Amino acid sequence: MRFTTIEEEIAVTKFKKGIEREIEGYFEEKGFNLIEPPIFQKYDKYMASNYRQDSSAIVKVLGGGSNILVLRPDITINVLGDIFSKWEGDYPLKIYYNSKVYYNGPESWVAANHQMGIESLGEDVLVGDTQALEMASIILGILKEPYILEIGYSKYLDGFFNEIQLSIDDENELKELISKKNRCELKDKVGKLALNNTLLDRILDIQGDIEDVVDMAAPFCINGEMKESIEQLEKIREFLVDKGYKENIKLDLSMIADYHYYDGLIFKGYSISSPKKILSGGRYDRLTEEFEMRVPAIGFMVDMDYITRIRIGGENGGKGYNSNS
Amino acid sequence: MVEKVTIAIAKGRLGEKGVELFTNSELEIVREKKSRKLIFTDKNKEVKYIFVKPADVVTYVEKGVADLGIVGKDIILEENKDVYEILDLDFGKCNFVIAGFKNGSYKKKNQTLRIATKYTNYTQRVFENRNQKIEIIKLNGSVELAPLLDLSDVIVDIVETGKTLKDNGLEVLEKLDYVSARLIANKASYRFKYNIIKKIERILGVSE
Repeated sequence: MRFTTIEEEIAVTKFKKGIEREIEGYFEEKGFNLIEPPIFQKYDKYMASNYRQDSSAIVKVLGGGSNILVLRPDITINVLGDIFSKWEGDYPLKIYYNSKVYYNGPESWVAANHQMGIESLGEDVLVGDTQALEMASIILGILKEPYILEIGYSKYLDGFFNEIQLSIDDENELKELISKKNRCELKDKVGKLALNNTLLDRILDIQGDIEDVVDMAAPFCINGEMKESIEQLEKIREFLVDKGYKENIKLDLSMIADYHYYDGLIFKGYSISSPKKILSGGRYDRLTEEFEMRVPAIGFMVDMDYITRIRIGGENGGKGYNSNS
Repeated sequence: MVEKVTIAIAKGRLGEKGVELFTNSELEIVREKKSRKLIFTDKNKEVKYIFVKPADVVTYVEKGVADLGIVGKDIILEENKDVYEILDLDFGKCNFVIAGFKNGSYKKKNQTLRIATKYTNYTQRVFENRNQKIEIIKLNGSVELAPLLDLSDVIVDIVETGKTLKDNGLEVLEKLDYVSARLIANKASYRFKYNIIKKIERILGVSE
């Protein structure tokens, strides 16, 4: 955030710290412990796990011995490397962080984004999924304005792609069109690949209230991976309906994960006065294999800069906080 | 509560065609003739229409100042922003092309190919993996002049009929992406205003 006066900076920083304490208190109450993520990580390792990432946005640093390092663009991968060098995986590990990530911003400057988030490792999949969704709903709820938690399940569409075996370029192109909700170009591409009368004809419509969408998606299952996805979503649906969170939840099975390492539940939180997602997360069991141990793993992060702005806007009677981050 | 929605429309020919699509619909725009105002609404004030420079439409939508935008695919490709591209409006059809002199070669070994264009980001991406050294020369209009005056070897531009090219002794050397007018949406708006956005999709035609 940028400020015009020192008074404003002090007031906003104090206000933000108050929100941080509130969220930290909530994370701790739920059994999560604070850790501080390392600042650098190896460039090669980072890019290998993130093929959809725009490499030009990443801040590269030349370290000792001319190693190329990246200045923490994402906390999850960064934290895992550290944890798996010490943790034996013998009990569920629940941690949270309150840190910044860095990227090449406009005007050739390195920009920072303040994030708080949780990672839950080694916990039963259903328990982990439902706890993450519940905590995400509570955090969005503290903003005291309408919010929507958009959830998807990457294994559903990935299960489909695993079955039809396209070239990696075609698969990525289809996923890109799906992620842009680009119905017309998707239709053309599906036609060219002779994939009409498959899930791809309908994928952009498989979204809406969770109560309906799970049933809408079920008939398209063509293998075990897709069926398991639906079974898991049925259990998640039951939880969300029982707990009364379903009103603010939209299920969208055309959601494509921002990070390649997500495999299973993915979600994004939107709040009405913010133009961008303010919360995002998902399950990343597959990623833990890179650290030579496969454990169930899920996490999410909230964008503290946006959260602060929304809360200040609320206090000012909805006038919003006029600043650029 | 009635959902309200703001649509950013590219000023100029493409935008005017976009406005026409709302004619005789319940969201028809109310405009005084010859007015130079930039903000209008429909009669029920459900939709606010704002008229901005084509290149800014995508920015307005990404930043959430507008929920939806009507803009050419050329601008979307050039700006490359994080928005949904929900509908092909099926007008303003043309193609991105590489154009130059007849029989001109645009694959030069060990030489830099000079390309004049308005679309620098797009051109950069097109040539990214082509093993061809390039120099991009940014122009703001009349791009066809560049090869004639030896400012560039080729141009990258959008072409509808190819008449301007032909009149200037140039021809299409390679066809690139297909371009037409599109309806784009802010990602948060898409969720919060889903119902009215679907209604607008139906009015604009191509919803399946």
